[in-house]
Amino acid sequence: MNAAYVARQALAYLVLLVLTFLICFPLIWALSTSLKPPKDVMATPPRVIPLEVTLANYRNLITGKQQYFRADQSYVPTTAAPQYFTSWFANSVVVSLGSTCISIVISTLAAYSITRFRYWGRRIIPYFSLLGYMIPSIILVFPLFLVMAEFRLTNSLWSLTFGYVSITLPFCMWLLWAFFRGIPIELEEAAMIDGAGRLRVFVDIVLPSALPGIIAAAIFSLIVSWNDYLFARVFINSIENLPLTVGVMHFFEGVHVDWGLMMASAVLMTLPMALLFMLMQRHLVAGFGAGAVKG
Amino acid sequence: MTIRLEHICKNFGAVEVLKDIHLEFPEREFITLVGPSGCGKSTLLRILAGLESASSGAIYRDAQTVSDLAPGKRDIAMVFQSYALYPHMNVFRNIAYGLKVRGTPADETERRVHEVAKVLEIEHLLDRKPKALSGGQRQRVALGRAMVRKPWLFLMDEPLSNLDAKLRATMRGELKRFHLRLETTTVYVTHDQLEAMTMSDKIAVMDGGVVQQYATPEEVYNRPANVFVAGFIGSPPMNFLAGAAITGNTVSLDCGGTRSTIAVSPLPAAGSREVVLGVRPQDLEVFDTAREHSLAAEVSLVQLVGSEKLIDLNYATSGRISAQVKADSRLAAGQKVWVGFDPAKLHLFEPASGRNLALAERA
Repeated sequence: MNAAYVARQALAYLVLLVLTFLICFPLIWALSTSLKPPKDVMATPPRVIPLEVTLANYRNLITGKQQYFRADQSYVPTTAAPQYFTSWFANSVVVSLGSTCISIVISTLAAYSITRFRYWGRRIIPYFSLLGYMIPSIILVFPLFLVMAEFRLTNSLWSLTFGYVSITLPFCMWLLWAFFRGIPIELEEAAMIDGAGRLRVFVDIVLPSALPGIIAAAIFSLIVSWNDYLFARVFINSIENLPLTVGVMHFFEGVHVDWGLMMASAVLMTLPMALLFMLMQRHLVAGFGAGAVKG
Repeated sequence: MTIRLEHICKNFGAVEVLKDIHLEFPEREFITLVGPSGCGKSTLLRILAGLESASSGAIYRDAQTVSDLAPGKRDIAMVFQSYALYPHMNVFRNIAYGLKVRGTPADETERRVHEVAKVLEIEHLLDRKPKALSGGQRQRVALGRAMVRKPWLFLMDEPLSNLDAKLRATMRGELKRFHLRLETTTVYVTHDQLEAMTMSDKIAVMDGGVVQQYATPEEVYNRPANVFVAGFIGSPPMNFLAGAAITGNTVSLDCGGTRSTIAVSPLPAAGSREVVLGVRPQDLEVFDTAREHSLAAEVSLVQLVGSEKLIDLNYATSGRISAQVKADSRLAAGQKVWVGFDPAKLHLFEPASGRNLALAERA
């Protein structure tokens, strides 16, 4: 181990430390603020470790109790929004899971078909689907809104579900297409000779082999739909149908901004995705890796 | 159960991969389809398996056609070059899959998998996933998966080509032993003529989508049907000498303007007739003094290959020929020698068609 090596390592760790801090600080600050009583939120000097820890913000969000604080630090009930938090959360869960399920089922079948059957256009479909994914959402959202309006789906969770499918499906299909191409066809042929029909081969052999890719696609789809703001903002206009992302904006109420509730919501919003990531990390790397290298 | 292929043709777009193939595989025999890559041997095997459909022609199992049956309904087994083991299943489930699909009861599946695993000496590996196995072990699992269903026909697509040379030699013997033990008709595809020669009851030598010769290994080696078969089978490859002719009952060779008589002709001709002369390096004798009916040549390269030496020789102005001699031979590059031909070991081919004259005349 020479000096140059040590210096390089030290520099690498320094860069990583700075990056880690930049990424983690907002999360830590949100967690810290969510645990402070209202009077400490704007206290100077700011403190990362709260002087006094309270779970009141979380309790209020979950029980839907309405209370705000005034300049004199006392709690008052307001017309605003914590009573909707649980519905928003449920909406987010339903819409994310729903759109992910639809995306994964369709994209898995589509990708399998493109890689295994011969028909016109099967070579260009994946590239076109990726092209679609490259168009910014802001351009897609208004035409999509008109489509939803045509089907009388606006202001419903369906509009969000289908809206998210329209964004996530092309990318999931492209990812799985790359993945299926890496699965040797001999595996399927061997299973067919073993006596399995096409469907059985798909379920017994293809799906398990593609599982890392499917998990990667599902996580991608969940994240996109869970974090979306734009579509929800445009498609939904009644407060009880909002997902979390747009819902928590209601904590900005005129001059009142309830930072405690905001940050508690932020923490609760981040938690499911963070947990999912931690559980699925291994598959995610395998999924993207395999797709990229073999595709 | 005999398998008959009749008029099998296969086109991929405009490319004719198989041209009117007729073959019959007798029961219990080990048949090898051998040929260079692109000769259509793998395609033919896939048609037999039902993974590919023939453009025309039919496959019969005894009197019944099986051409329209799905691969799973043909009750055959196939070993792939890549082994194609199911990566997410352990060895037991890999072997048992075919039985499971066919609804075999669990206790019988268990018994048969263990039986096969015992024969293949892989019982201790049953819990492992394919990625934790060595090449040879994967090969055995693939064999086990094929054997467990007791099919009436084994298809093997270059199953040894992913193994290193030493293991390949071992597995060659083992495959042959399994075949003798199971007595299941086997169709084996390879590009390696040595595998074809050592393992087969019969060899179908293929080139350009056509079966060039279908016969026993001895027949293919000793009486190749044409120049292609003669050049493909045998190692080191056969010498082909152009400019040879049979005149009466002698074979002579064009040595830059002068003709030297090199042997008594095995096939005397009335008058004179041009031929392509084929002779295996093993069938040549190299002398350091002139003899009757020998060809003057000069040693250009000597290669020791274990028990033999392979000698490259130049004769006349541009003729080349190689001979195999004993390893204790003292020949050295630059030395002047005389090559002797054994009339019984000469192969004479028609220059235009490449057909073996001996066989053509007999037919």
